[in-house]
Amino acid sequence: MHPLAGPRIRLLQRTSPLVTLAVLSAWSVAVVLTLDPRRALLASGMAVLAALLAGGVPPHRLAGLAAPLLLAAAAVGLFNALFAAANADPAARELWRLGLLRLTEPGVTAGLALASRVAALALLGATFALTTTATRLADALVQQLRLSPRFAYGALAAYGAAPHLAADLVTLRQARRIRGLRADRHPRVLLALLVLALRRAERLATAMDARGLGSGSRTTFRPVTLGWPDLVWGSIGLAGLLALRAVA
Amino acid sequence: MLGPSGSGKSTLAHAIAGLLPRGQGALRSGRLEVGGVDAWAAARAELAARVGLVMQDPDSQLVMERADDDVAFGLENRAWPPAAMPARVAEVLAEVGLAGLEARHPDGLSGGQQQRLALAGALAPRPSVLVLDEPTANLDPDGAAAFLARLDGARRVDGTTIVLVEHRVESAWPMADQLLVLGSDGRPIDLGPPGAVVARSGPALLAAGVWLPRAVEVALGRPIATRTLPGAPGGAAVASAEPVVRAERVDFAYQPGVPVLEAVSLEVAAGERFCLVGPNGSGKSTLARLLVGLERPLHGRVLLGDEEPHRLPAAVLARRAGLVFQDPERQFLARTVAEEVSLGLDEGERVGLPELMSSLGLPLERFGPRSPYRLSGGEQRRLSLACALARRPRLLVLDEPTYGQDRHGYEGLLRILEGRLAEGAAVVAATHDPRFVADVATRTLEMRGGRLSERRTT
Repeated sequence: MHPLAGPRIRLLQRTSPLVTLAVLSAWSVAVVLTLDPRRALLASGMAVLAALLAGGVPPHRLAGLAAPLLLAAAAVGLFNALFAAANADPAARELWRLGLLRLTEPGVTAGLALASRVAALALLGATFALTTTATRLADALVQQLRLSPRFAYGALAAYGAAPHLAADLVTLRQARRIRGLRADRHPRVLLALLVLALRRAERLATAMDARGLGSGSRTTFRPVTLGWPDLVWGSIGLAGLLALRAVA
Repeated sequence: MLGPSGSGKSTLAHAIAGLLPRGQGALRSGRLEVGGVDAWAAARAELAARVGLVMQDPDSQLVMERADDDVAFGLENRAWPPAAMPARVAEVLAEVGLAGLEARHPDGLSGGQQQRLALAGALAPRPSVLVLDEPTANLDPDGAAAFLARLDGARRVDGTTIVLVEHRVESAWPMADQLLVLGSDGRPIDLGPPGAVVARSGPALLAAGVWLPRAVEVALGRPIATRTLPGAPGGAAVASAEPVVRAERVDFAYQPGVPVLEAVSLEVAAGERFCLVGPNGSGKSTLARLLVGLERPLHGRVLLGDEEPHRLPAAVLARRAGLVFQDPERQFLARTVAEEVSLGLDEGERVGLPELMSSLGLPLERFGPRSPYRLSGGEQRRLSLACALARRPRLLVLDEPTYGQDRHGYEGLLRILEGRLAEGAAVVAATHDPRFVADVATRTLEMRGGRLSERRTT
């Protein structure tokens, strides 16, 4: 086995990205199927444990990626609690009132349910993003799902080139300003941006062609295999799923 | 392979690598044989198995997220036995001087390292032919020297046939066994060992505007400096005191905590030519953008005349300052060359366009209707110069103005700068080109890690 990123190799770096994805997706489905916040809370905890223990993700990286998502989840919850239809129902138990704003128990429950679901899905997604590199996912798609290498590695290259778009937009706006034109969202800027993206894609495709992509049979530098790590992770996944079923 | 800008060097390089468009609209005749295969008839994959290619732009050649994965990519595509890959990847990374950086993300490497990684990727499958199209175009002198040294090493070790398009003739010349020179009409001027080509066709090479090593030019009877602007080392002194642009203790950062410029101060007077040298990533391009008001300083201030340029409305700014961006392609906004160069000009300013374009070797009758993106690299750079010069601004900031220019383009540039300087303009140029510094600069400062210092004299 080749040395992989990081000082210590954790379980989720030895599983197939497809198995990692399958387990996290199954947990996500379980979260979506119920409104009970306890299940979403449990799934959130499982996602964090998976990232930290099985994935070896440094806590600050998980926090950095998850914080804005969790904030969004809280906002969704608050909004739904404040403007829930149940708040208009005079029979609902009132918790708090300010003028026309009325907070009721069913409203808060609905808000909490939504917020916890969004939070759980965000954490599960973050766990996948932080434990699996795009290259490994592309490798697995090609080797295990027999996806066309041209498509998978083309998409990988496009993903890598995406950040250049932002820099191109800045440069094009500056180019307009220094030529005495307003630097706002002029259609020509967007057209030029599209041209640049297409030309970069063309160059990337040329470079990948020149390196023999899609020229016939292919071997692999980092084979993605199914082995005992997948068995272990799959079992953890199943156990997790049963635990999720047990609540709510 | 040498030739003036637009002579078809890149096209021939792409043809050898089997990358020219096929089918409709592609006209070709004659015979092109690569590694014993008819390159016109062969499948693209068949050629890719024999040819390695390195292009100019590092970030459109690297695909993977780790250096070693990227090198292995070509081996995988050519179905190398997996057991043989790790040893070959390690070997070729060591060959280009990147041992120890296997796990690094290519985005985190310097431009020079990225190009050497692209070289490693092309060399790994042991191609019988290696084609390189201006591989050092975006590199600073140290990065370029390191790249060419590694290339020379690969030539000695593997015995690979190398086809190199390169403007830095000084360092590439000693590596060449054969020289092919193309004329501006795309026809070959001569082919043979460098010595024989110079002996046979020397005057024709000079007439075509091809750069030759200094020693060769001297031997052919051309003076070293054909045009040195007054005030440059060896020229007459220039006298003026009126500052056109001034930076006072400017700090700048794109992200908090990652300073790009620190306490940069400079003053450029009318008639002065100020050259900024220094490695890639040292902050030269950022300073260029600050001087023309496209970025605003974090601390300190920039004064263009007596105003801060980032506060000026675009229409005013454009008539006081002009900028030639480092990558000309990224500043084009119009469909045709004629549209591009007249963008934002008023009636009066349009009058001088035909003359300006002709003096830059881009006569409007011929180039006007063409797409800016379909020009050669040298032509694109001259078009971006024309865009900056058309409003006759007092401050001209040029980011790498000479790269990809042949001798005619270079001399045209110097002629125009001379005229603008006489009218009282000031020129600031960020450049890696020692010849431009020698011919043009009245003052040269070195930028390193975001700070300016007097140039070390070597």
